[in-house]
Amino acid sequence: MPWELIFFYIIGAASVLCALGMVLAKNPVHSGIFLVLTFLNVAGIFVMLGAEFLAVIQIIVYTGAILILMLFVLMLVDPDDLPSFSSAAPLQRNLSLVLGVVLVLELAATIITRTALGGVGPDTPASIDSVGGNAQALGLRLYSDYLLAFEVTSLVLTVGVIGAVVLALPERLGERIQRRRDTISLAHPRGADGFLPAGPRGETPITTDIERDVAMQNAGRALIMTKDPDAYTRVGVRQGRPDANDAN
Amino acid sequence: MGELSTNHFLFLSAALFVIGMMGMLTRRNMLVIFMCIELMVTAVSISFVAFANETQTLKGQVFVLFVLAVAAAEAAVGLAIIVALSRRGKTVDVDSMHELRD
Repeated sequence: MPWELIFFYIIGAASVLCALGMVLAKNPVHSGIFLVLTFLNVAGIFVMLGAEFLAVIQIIVYTGAILILMLFVLMLVDPDDLPSFSSAAPLQRNLSLVLGVVLVLELAATIITRTALGGVGPDTPASIDSVGGNAQALGLRLYSDYLLAFEVTSLVLTVGVIGAVVLALPERLGERIQRRRDTISLAHPRGADGFLPAGPRGETPITTDIERDVAMQNAGRALIMTKDPDAYTRVGVRQGRPDANDAN
Repeated sequence: MGELSTNHFLFLSAALFVIGMMGMLTRRNMLVIFMCIELMVTAVSISFVAFANETQTLKGQVFVLFVLAVAAAEAAVGLAIIVALSRRGKTVDVDSMHELRD
């Protein structure tokens, strides 16, 4: 048995097991970590297929950026909001099993009965080596033949970033920023005019350091617990925890 | 069986794709469904690279680069939607989301 095949079976089995772990893990954080492992194994598969540049990009983009983003979102979402694992409808689960088996059979039949395409392309290992390697060959191709698609991709990414910012912005926060531009503080998310007693220049001066500490602690806790931007951007609330029922 | 061929990689790709699909159909947590979509995208990428390797051309690899870029944009927008939904509706359970219907 050639070493290549042994490595393929090891990496392939690891990636499939990690993918199964991702689907079956109860905790979404564990799912995310299993997904990282799957992507690392897939990067190994890319290396075996001679796509070294893609392997590195896979690690940087997927495990470096997207998965970190997912874990951050997981921290933002309240754990009580997460649905319990085994509560999918039984019909749905059985149907997905049937569909999965059918799809496996279809794909296997397609792969077994297909005719090999054969080495017909221009990018033989020798020609890739002559320009310096996989990354160089890919770059040459990307910046000549696929220049327009490359530029369009940059547009897609820009629109995606703007859309993400707009979607994740709290509702009505924008107009509040417009209305009270002079009182927004970047140092504290509640803003300088909100809940915190402002010390010497404020209407409710803090007399002792203990009071200030308590106020700070309450502020931090309220910031974590509240999900409604109205609760902490209201005009006129000077002291005490904002009333959650009063929002809106 | 003796030699490593493209079919090996295609089978691996199919396995990962089906695992991702079944996870997407059974799980109810929106974030896990999102991860399953990423897994399916990656599985298809393996197919692309395997075919590129078989036909001795770089077109498949270039295509995977574009797929990665689009997947990154999709992840940003999708996660922003999840954040907005969890802030509004206080849940990321897909079965209990019917705001568009009401």
